[in-house]
Amino acid sequence: MGETIASEEMHRYFDGLEARLKEAIEIANRARARGGDPRPVVEIPLAKDLADRVENLIGVKGVAEKIRELEARMSREEAALEIGKQVAEGVVGSFPSKKDAVEAAIRVSMAVLTEGVVAAPIEGIDKVDLGKNDDGSQYIRIFYSGPIRSAGGTAQALSVLVGDYVRRGIGIDRYKPREEEVERYVEEILLYKRVASLQYTPSEDEIRLIVRNCPVCIDGDPTEEAEVEGHRDLERIGTNRVRGGMCLVLAEGLALKAPKVKKHVNKLKMDGWDWLETLIGGAKSGESDEDEQKNKIKPKDKYIRDLIAGRPVFSHPSRPGGFRLRYGRSRNTSFASAGINPAGMVLLDDFITNGTQLKIERPGKAAAMSAVDSIEGPTVRLFSGDLIRVDDIKEAYEVRQQVEVIVDIGEILINYGDFLENNHPLMPSPYVFEWWIYDYESVCSEKILEKDLKNPSASLALKLAEKYNVPLHPKFTYLWHDINRNEFEALRKFVAEKGTFLEGEGEGEGEGILKLPLEDSVKEGIKPVLEKLLVLHKVKEGGIFVEEALPFILCLGLDRSLKEKVSMPDTGDMVEAAGILSGFKVYPKAPSRIGARMGRPEKSDLRKMSPAAQVLFPISNAGGMTRNLVSASDYTSCMNAKIGEIEVELGLRECPACGKESYFWRCECGEFTNPKLSCPRCKIDVRGAETCPKCGRKPTSVANVKLDFRPIYKQAFENVGERERMDIIKGVKRLMNGQMTPEPLEKGILRAKHDVYIFKDGTVRYDMSDIPLTHIRADELGITAARLRELDYKEDIYGKPLERDDQVVCLKVQDLLLSYDGAEYMLRTAKYVDELLVKYYKVEPYYNAETIQDLVGVLMIGLAPHTSAGVLGRLIGFTKASVGYAHPFFHASKRRNCDGDEDCVMLLMDGILNFSRSYLPEKRGGKMDAPLVLTTRIDPKEVDKEAHNIDLLARYPLEFYRATQEIKNPTEIESIMDLVSSRLGKPDQYEHFMFTHDTSNIAAGPLKSSYKTLGSMIEKMEAQLSLAGKIRAVDAPDVAERVLKSHFLPDLIGNLRSFSRQRMRCIKCGEKFRRPPLTGACPKCGGNVVLTVHEGAVRKYLEISKEIGERYGVSSYTRQRIELLDYDICSLFENHKVKQLGLSDFMSGSAR
Amino acid sequence: MNEIDIVRAVTEEGYQISPSAVELIKSSISPESLLKYVLSTIDDCIFVIESEHIDLKGFEASKKAFDASESPSLTLSRAQSGNMSAGNMSSGNKPSDVISSPSSEPVNSDRLNNSEKVKTPGSLSDSLEEEGSTLSVETEVVSGFDIPHNNPVTDSDISFSQEPASDIAAHGSLASTVYPSSGGIEKQVSSFFGEAGSKSFSAFKSASRADSFFSNEGALSSSSRAEGVRHISGLNPITVLSDITGHSTCVGEYVQFVQYFRDRYSKLSEILRGRMNARPIESLKKRSFRRGSDGGNEELSIIGIVSDISSTNNGHKILSLEDSTGSFSVLIRNSDKELYELASRLILDEVIGVTGSVTNDGNLMLATKILQPDVPNSIQHRTGSHGKVVLISDVHVGSSQFLEDAWLDFLDFLKGESDSEEMREIASQVRYLVVAGDLVDGIGIYPDQEMELDILDVYEQYRKAADYFKEIPRHIRVIISPGNHDAVRQAEPQPALPERICADFPENVTFVGNPALVDLDGIRILIYHGRSIDDLVASVPGVSYHEPAGAVLEMLKRRHLAPTYGSRVSISPEKKDYFIIDPVPDIIHTGHVHTLGVQRYKNVLLVNSGTWQAQTEFQKRVNLVPVPARVPVVDLADFDVKILAFD
Repeated sequence: MGETIASEEMHRYFDGLEARLKEAIEIANRARARGGDPRPVVEIPLAKDLADRVENLIGVKGVAEKIRELEARMSREEAALEIGKQVAEGVVGSFPSKKDAVEAAIRVSMAVLTEGVVAAPIEGIDKVDLGKNDDGSQYIRIFYSGPIRSAGGTAQALSVLVGDYVRRGIGIDRYKPREEEVERYVEEILLYKRVASLQYTPSEDEIRLIVRNCPVCIDGDPTEEAEVEGHRDLERIGTNRVRGGMCLVLAEGLALKAPKVKKHVNKLKMDGWDWLETLIGGAKSGESDEDEQKNKIKPKDKYIRDLIAGRPVFSHPSRPGGFRLRYGRSRNTSFASAGINPAGMVLLDDFITNGTQLKIERPGKAAAMSAVDSIEGPTVRLFSGDLIRVDDIKEAYEVRQQVEVIVDIGEILINYGDFLENNHPLMPSPYVFEWWIYDYESVCSEKILEKDLKNPSASLALKLAEKYNVPLHPKFTYLWHDINRNEFEALRKFVAEKGTFLEGEGEGEGEGILKLPLEDSVKEGIKPVLEKLLVLHKVKEGGIFVEEALPFILCLGLDRSLKEKVSMPDTGDMVEAAGILSGFKVYPKAPSRIGARMGRPEKSDLRKMSPAAQVLFPISNAGGMTRNLVSASDYTSCMNAKIGEIEVELGLRECPACGKESYFWRCECGEFTNPKLSCPRCKIDVRGAETCPKCGRKPTSVANVKLDFRPIYKQAFENVGERERMDIIKGVKRLMNGQMTPEPLEKGILRAKHDVYIFKDGTVRYDMSDIPLTHIRADELGITAARLRELDYKEDIYGKPLERDDQVVCLKVQDLLLSYDGAEYMLRTAKYVDELLVKYYKVEPYYNAETIQDLVGVLMIGLAPHTSAGVLGRLIGFTKASVGYAHPFFHASKRRNCDGDEDCVMLLMDGILNFSRSYLPEKRGGKMDAPLVLTTRIDPKEVDKEAHNIDLLARYPLEFYRATQEIKNPTEIESIMDLVSSRLGKPDQYEHFMFTHDTSNIAAGPLKSSYKTLGSMIEKMEAQLSLAGKIRAVDAPDVAERVLKSHFLPDLIGNLRSFSRQRMRCIKCGEKFRRPPLTGACPKCGGNVVLTVHEGAVRKYLEISKEIGERYGVSSYTRQRIELLDYDICSLFENHKVKQLGLSDFMSGSAR
Repeated sequence: MNEIDIVRAVTEEGYQISPSAVELIKSSISPESLLKYVLSTIDDCIFVIESEHIDLKGFEASKKAFDASESPSLTLSRAQSGNMSAGNMSSGNKPSDVISSPSSEPVNSDRLNNSEKVKTPGSLSDSLEEEGSTLSVETEVVSGFDIPHNNPVTDSDISFSQEPASDIAAHGSLASTVYPSSGGIEKQVSSFFGEAGSKSFSAFKSASRADSFFSNEGALSSSSRAEGVRHISGLNPITVLSDITGHSTCVGEYVQFVQYFRDRYSKLSEILRGRMNARPIESLKKRSFRRGSDGGNEELSIIGIVSDISSTNNGHKILSLEDSTGSFSVLIRNSDKELYELASRLILDEVIGVTGSVTNDGNLMLATKILQPDVPNSIQHRTGSHGKVVLISDVHVGSSQFLEDAWLDFLDFLKGESDSEEMREIASQVRYLVVAGDLVDGIGIYPDQEMELDILDVYEQYRKAADYFKEIPRHIRVIISPGNHDAVRQAEPQPALPERICADFPENVTFVGNPALVDLDGIRILIYHGRSIDDLVASVPGVSYHEPAGAVLEMLKRRHLAPTYGSRVSISPEKKDYFIIDPVPDIIHTGHVHTLGVQRYKNVLLVNSGTWQAQTEFQKRVNLVPVPARVPVVDLADFDVKILAFD
């Protein structure tokens, strides 16, 4: 392992973790040595560095050394491309043919790009082949398969770039597609979208653009049953079926990640990729790119194109009233998660809470939400007419019943790093306190308390503006850009004519109150203008009262006596007008709005397989639908069959010592057994050989056996000293692993006792949404500062000794928090593990945990789906939020970002005791989501590169705010922002991180998203529409129409169609039928067969669709569609003859 | 009556029977009548007849009752037969109509007032008896193959119009009032079980056009009371022989799916049964059949619906065939080139007969012969008609790709206003115009369709279409059948367009369902939109969109318009399988795929008419080049086809 560069303190931390890991492994090894598992040693090897992981994964000798060498002088991506080139050129490794070299090269590059963590380089690339262009030159074809998904869009896209880079190195020509092939891609990808699903579907022109220009042929094996209809039997495309891997790489890779690919193309100065520009510009409208250069950012509606019922829209694209962008990073945001004020979470009807994913307009496509209470909350109009801003969550709960309209949904905190990561031009920053303070500091030397600067009185703000020419404080800057000239003039006139200004007394000037007559201002449309400007006011005694109104009055060009002081300047820009009229510098308050809708709700739940299992022991159908081992032990197949004898599939094994056959890994004589392989066709024993010597088939040990289950079951209870008093122990129907190795029953008994469930690999897991956290306070973790000190936390962020519970300290990279629910589950798991150690392995208990507090400090394994490498973590506290907080590096080392992803944790001892490769399913992708290796120490260099773009400053520099005004590309100011990438390889890569905006409580906000607490889909939908009606930035009829169009109508059509083409199912044995058996009953078990799609499922959304269509006056086109569907459904489910008998019994059928 | 006969009889009725029940029936004094009794009283929802379903008491009681009421039933049935043979083509299509004709008593009140009925069992038995007799008439005339099938139509009608009939049947005392009707059935239906069965069997052995012709004739004449028959007289008369409109009984229950496939199996297997001596599949699993007498394996035949097709590692094909008694695997070796070729064209859910030998372990049949229902070779065109029929489809009014200019030219042609003399000459002979679906482009048929529409309002689309049709001379009879773009249910069979839409069209337009079998003054045309062509193109080698008539030919060989279930064709599980091609029509007219194709197969003319819509975005994507504005015109006297171009 390369030397970790860290401070002494961090070294101590890492060494401490590793020492405890070693200790745990020793205990587990001692326990497993007793032979209670398929193998007598811990089966999770500790991972060395990335280079080794890659070499072992791909199996090209010498690669590791080369990678280390290259990494020393270039970035990961460059190294990945370079090593690929070297492998292809034969500098490293040796291959029988050019093709093999290219193949290995792409795999190696891919593995380096994915940190050697995911299975995509082995399972996702099927093969690489050479094809022939029509001009006789050669091109390379990369065959992608399904698991390429796990590599993520960026790595998928870059693998194509690797292919191109490699082929140039060895002189292979580019791919020159034929026109029919281009069209084939178009048809196929759109078909794939229908049969599977795509996160992003490129337009037809985008696909054509990519295929025509991509220098490498993106190919693949068929993954779906569906076949293309046109463009069949093409000479150079070997299948008519849909190639899922190809579709993923092209759509979610190249098309979606074009900006990232472009970044690398520029870096490497590769030619032939200029077409990416067109792709990024948007194939449909080439103007948007131009516009953004002309300092304009256009609304993007991609995120609301597919609306789902029950997931509300919070703001239409870039609408006034939507989220106001605020730049900065809180300790619980960045890395694709954004912050909003918890008061906003409450006022947006609890739909958003910590961990809820939002689909956002920009900079990325999604972000997880976190509570940050140092930014502004929503501004609402109450039924009383008051316009108030709610920044405090307590106040939010108090006023939520009185809210009539949410005029503005508040600020959203997004950090610079996310713009950098997405390569999105910086949007103009609003004029915020962080910026104002620079302007203030540059001209004013007067000592003023920070508190007063943050929240100045009107008189202070005016004094600073008048005396020092400091721009008008953001507190008194209104949203002048949201009104037009007419509105401005009307307002100015109205205030001048009808307003009364009540000067404040004593407190100095500017504290006065402006009073406007209520009735007239409503009648003349002035109140809405005040609301648009976010001029807060109270309504009482027939008047509108604006406190601290002087700055506002001055901005209207009026004086204290409300006389017109200056005449209206000739400009269409109202911000400029306010500046000229007042004589102050006035800046835009909300130049950038971010549209958003809800994505998926947060998650914090135990992992259950479906159906849930507590032990990997097969009982076929003997346990009923619940797979209950208890009933399997009493099972009789027929009247006079032996009780508890069940017929299951198991792997036949043989004892090398005494030659006895059994189905378990230990022989009665104590020896470990070996699988007894035979050829399934020739029925001959095959010892040790890979294939059958006679027919060449793959041998297997699997056999259908009559297992005398009852005694095994009873013995297991006896072994762990438990009484047979269980109601249910959930087994599985059939094992999925190659040799059909079952788990010991004893484990299932103890798991059932403690009510824990397992995953396919035998481990107990808890799933949580990933949220980054860089700083903590003991008081919000449910522990004390003293306990934190024991966990090696010595100082707070300012370098002061850690003494109080409310000091903010920098989170160590491998520490994590669990939700309280998760902690309870892990406590049960710890108790189970302890009992397992004592009763099954007969060794000392390990955890001895009575309360969740006893779990603080225990080691855990974090593991993300699609990966095969766990990461060592340490539990340091708990949170009320339903999310898994951990250091962004910890998430990144699992190759997750935080845009709504979720993954799992498990107890270390559970993992090393119970995990066995023998349990893993043999099918493709079976090795994913299993801890095949354990990363023990996080090296920021070896985590997902996305994490390198996190900024760590305490305040963003002035240059940053200036750069945003010019809509600069974020890379242009990369050097002045303190990013993780600039600290790599230095001790500070682990420490001394800072943040710009604090939050008083990381778990503030509702405990659960109302999406989860609301009952039926219709209820959710009602809530969604009622919220849409309240938010100014949301067009409720548009939401209704979109929900109908993209959710309810497709659902109705889909269900109607599937009703008429449906499969049938036996309710007894679960067998599915493509069509009903002619006998009517299940031919397998004689059970009743039922429909899988019922009338109810088809009709489910019909009434609500009709109702909503009417209520919101959706387009007549959509209403007609609903009407036709109604007619269709009635026609299908109503007996026409009954109707006829009732209506026109004896009327003879008319001619027409 | 031996075991096999019982199993067979039960099977053909669409049930399964347990061995113990077979024993029970065998042991009866009069097994045949008992079996008939059981089959006529058995509840629809039972699939496997167990011994407890055999109501011996009810049987005894019914026998007595039957003896007592035998003569009236015969009288009635005779009267009924007479009525039928008179060829009454009235539009009556309900049992009640039939009842009302022979009996002068006020049946209406009987049917509607249950309490009265129980008090006067005579009238109830009468009405039920009618069921029996009408069925029997059909049975006899249709040469015993269109079996009563426990006639669900009438059953359910009765149970709707009266108190639960099944309840009545279940109770001993009431059963006696019900049974006489069953007796009636027994008497008449005996043709199917007994002598008549063999008679019809032999008839079918020499399957010829004449036979099927007669049977068709029979079906036609008796169909005055059959579902969907409408006759429109006039200069250019039409008779709608088969059409779902107004007869859809689907309410979305599992049983209906089973019934639908049972009807398919029973109808198609009957066609095959005339050509091979097949056994119930269940019987193959019995020792006696698979052990050949002296080592050599005996050849057996089975008829089944294809439920699965797979290939072995060695390249042989394995079919899974199912009948209502069970299923069996059939191996087709790739060494038998011809057979293998045929097998690789088989598709799911078609009904075929297979002859072969069963392997020693009794698990597999090695096929030597595969038989599809197909059209008999000797079939001949009907003659004696005159004039022309114009076949079009896929007009897509409302689409932005609708070729209005060409379409207006076509209307001018129909009006006899073409420029060329020849065209005017043809136009003068046109008697009929048939539209096989997709009259308008519809709305919401595919995502973002609104981008490709000129008329966004579907009713506006139809009004526009109606305006066009008003220009067609009134003497031309127009028949419009819906397609997947039309404003009717998507599930097939589709009923005719709703009244609201039809009302805008002139009275020379007749709306029918999809599919529909229509008699055009003596020539039978089967109209089907052609959704299933998509399935056939995807699963039968050599069938392509460029030659759509080839797909229709495949339908004809299978005697079924849409064999494969669960793929592209949405079905509504009706009691009767409307897709079955029986009788064999003179013309089959399809559309849907927007390409033109004309073929002849055993004297049946297959026409797929093109479209009036230019290439759409979707078609561009799937590489489908439409053939717009080409119109096949068929001469009804000699079936000569002319293709007129209007572009």
